[in-house]
Amino acid sequence: MRFIVSSAALLKQLSSINGVITTNPVVPILENFLFEIHDGNLKITASDLQTSMITEIEVEANENGSIAVPARILIETLKNLPEQPVTFSVEEESYSIEISSDNGRYKLAGENATDFPKVPTVTDGYSVTFTADVLSRAISYTIFATSNDELRPAMTGVFFKLDESNATFVATDGHRLVRYRRVDVAGEVSNSMIIPRKALTLLKSTLPADNSSVNIEFNPSNIFFEFNKVKMISRLIDERFPDYENVIPLNNTNIITIRRNEILSSLKRISIYANKSTHQIRIKIAGSELVISAEDLDFSNEANERLACEHVGDDIEIGFNARFMMEVLSNMESDQIDLKLDAPNKAGLILPKQNNDNEDILLLIMPVMLNNYV
Amino acid sequence: MSIRKIIHIDMDAFFASVEQRDNPDLRGKPVAVGGSSQRGVVAAASYEARKFGVHSAMPSVTAFKRCPEIIFVKPHFEVYTAVSKQIRTIFHEYTDLVEPLSLDEAYLDVTSNKKGMPSATLIAKEIRQRIKTETQLTASAGISINKFLAKIASDQDKPDGLFLIPPEKAEAFVETLPIHKFHGIGKVTTKKMHDMGINSGADLKQWELSKLMKIFGKSGRYYYNIARAIDERNVEPNRPRKSIAAENTFETDLATFDEMMVELEEIGEVVFNRMKKVEGVGRTLTLKLKYSDFKQITRSKTLVNNFDNLKLILEITRELLLQCDIEINPVRLLGLSVSNLAEKDLSSGDQLTLEF
Repeated sequence: MRFIVSSAALLKQLSSINGVITTNPVVPILENFLFEIHDGNLKITASDLQTSMITEIEVEANENGSIAVPARILIETLKNLPEQPVTFSVEEESYSIEISSDNGRYKLAGENATDFPKVPTVTDGYSVTFTADVLSRAISYTIFATSNDELRPAMTGVFFKLDESNATFVATDGHRLVRYRRVDVAGEVSNSMIIPRKALTLLKSTLPADNSSVNIEFNPSNIFFEFNKVKMISRLIDERFPDYENVIPLNNTNIITIRRNEILSSLKRISIYANKSTHQIRIKIAGSELVISAEDLDFSNEANERLACEHVGDDIEIGFNARFMMEVLSNMESDQIDLKLDAPNKAGLILPKQNNDNEDILLLIMPVMLNNYV
Repeated sequence: MSIRKIIHIDMDAFFASVEQRDNPDLRGKPVAVGGSSQRGVVAAASYEARKFGVHSAMPSVTAFKRCPEIIFVKPHFEVYTAVSKQIRTIFHEYTDLVEPLSLDEAYLDVTSNKKGMPSATLIAKEIRQRIKTETQLTASAGISINKFLAKIASDQDKPDGLFLIPPEKAEAFVETLPIHKFHGIGKVTTKKMHDMGINSGADLKQWELSKLMKIFGKSGRYYYNIARAIDERNVEPNRPRKSIAAENTFETDLATFDEMMVELEEIGEVVFNRMKKVEGVGRTLTLKLKYSDFKQITRSKTLVNNFDNLKLILEITRELLLQCDIEINPVRLLGLSVSNLAEKDLSSGDQLTLEF
C-alpha cells in the first residue's frame, strides 16, 4: 500500500487528535495512530480506550488498506520536515513503513491494524446540537473545578444535564462547585451524564473558535462529538453525581457587591503573603469596607488591603483558600460580582452581577475555618 | 573547627514514666502505653516491661504474650506535650541551640552557653537535676564532641544516667563499640556489615572510603566518618522534618488483602504515635509495598487538610492498598509514611468540604 499526502496537512490533522494518546497506554498499540485508507480517504484514529478521536484527510492512494503507525515518531518527523508531499509505502506482511520525502527516507516499524482496539459507536442514542463557542464556554466555566481524586470518580468529570428547557453543566471538587446553565440549548427528553475531564480538555483545545455547529450524540455509556472533520467518542463516567442542588445555599443574605477585577487583583497581591501550603486568607467585611488579609507566621509575612464595596447584612469575617477563590474569579467575565455569605463555616456563593444572555452562572466556594489565635 | 560540646538528653521511657508518675498504682509494674485494641501497638514500655522484651512499635498482642501481667494504658499526649514544653524551657535557659528530635529527646550545643559555664558535664548534671525536680521524671544525658557520640553516650548509662565521651577518648570508644550500637546503622545494614566481617568500630575503620561508598552509597561517607568519631552535623534548632515513616518486613510473605490490612493497621498506628511524638502533621500519605522479588511500588495521596487522626490514616491506607496490584506476587514489606509536614500551626484553619 502506498499513498501520498502533504506533510503539513497531515500534521495538522494528526495534531488535532494527538492529545488522546498517553505516554504509557494500557496496551502498547495505543501508542500508534490507526491509518485506514478507503477510496482515497485516510481515516486516522487515536485512542486511550476511554476516549478516541478520529479525523479524515484526502490522500492519493493506489489501493485500500490499513496500518498502525507509531505516533510520536511520525509527529516528530512531520514537524521537522519542510512542507512537501510525502510518500508512505507500507509493506503489508512485515508492517514496515517507509516515508520518503525530498530530504530522504525514514523507515519505521508499524503494527498490525487489526490489533488496534475497536472504537465504540453510539447506537440508540439521543442527540443535541451546540455551537462550538457555547460548548467551549461551558467547558471553560466548569472544567477547572473538577476533582483530581480518582477515588471519587464521579467528581473527576463534568456533570451534563439536558432538560426540555435548558442545559446544565456542573463540576465540583468538594471545595468549590460551579453550575453553568444555558437556556438556549435543550433536549427532547431529560437526560444526564458525567463526561470525563480528559475528553472535555481535548475538546476545548480542538473546538474551533466560532459558532459552527457541534453535533452531540449520546447513550448511557458513550458520548460522541462531531465538528469540522473531527469526531470524538468518550466513555461516560458510570457513577452517580453528588446531589449538588442540595448543597447550594438559598438563604445567603449577607451580600457584598464588588468589582471583580478589584478583588481579584487584591487577592493576587495578598496571597503572596499567605501560607504557601494553605493559601489561607481572611476577608473581613465591616460596613462598606472589605479588608483582605493574610499572614505566614513561619516567615513573619503579612499583608492587608482595604476595598470599598456595597454591603447588605451584618459584619462578618470569613476565611478562604486564595487559590480557589482566584480560580473562581478569573473564570468569570462580569464586571461586578455578588459575594453572598451566610456564616464563616457555611458555603459562600459568587454570582455575576449581570448574566449574559441565555446564561446562568453560579459559583460556590467552601470557606476555611479560621482559628483566631489573637 | 574548634572542639564543640554537645549534650544529648533523652527522657527515660518517657510516655510510660509519665503514666507511672501520674498513677501510683502503675509504679514498679510492667506498663505499656498504647492502643488497647486487639490490633494495637505499644507506643512506649516501662523499664519493668522492657525486661520481658517488650518495646515500642511491638504489636500489643506480642507484648501480652511476652509479659502476661503487663498493664496497658491509653496515651495522654496532651500531658506528654506539656512535660516536653517544661523540659524545653529548661534547655533554653542554657542555650538556644536546641534541636528537639521528639517530645522526649533533644540535642543541645552548649559550646558557648547562656550561663557561661565551662563544663558541659556540669550543665548536663544541672539539667538532669532540674528535670527531676520540676517534672519528677528522670532523663539520661550523653556528652561529647558531636551529635553522633552524644547520642551514643546517653544510651550508655540509661536509665537516669550521665555519660561523657571526652575528645581524647572518642576514637578509642568508637573502635570498641559493636556495630549494631551505631546510631544510623539499622538492622539491615548491621547484617550486611556482619557479612562483610565488620563487627566493631575498629573493623569498620579498616575500610576505605571508596569501598564503603561503593557498597553503601552516600551513607558510606557517613559510616567512614563515624568510625573515626567524626560527625560535623550542626545542632539545628529549626531543622524541618521531611517525613514520618514506619515499615515492617514480614517473616512470611503476605498474600491477601486482609492480611496486609491487619499489618497496615499496626504500622499506621506506629506512624500515628510517631507523629504525635514529634508533633508533626502532614498532608501526604504514602504506602510502600515490596514484593517477594524485591520489586517495590508506592502509592500516595495528598489531602487538602492534614492527617490528624488514626481513623483517617487507616481509611486512606485502605484506599491506597486497593490501588496496588497485590495478586502478582506475595508481599514481604509494607510501610507507611506521612510527608508534606508542617509544624502544627495554630493559625492555619481547616478547609471545609461540601457534604455530599
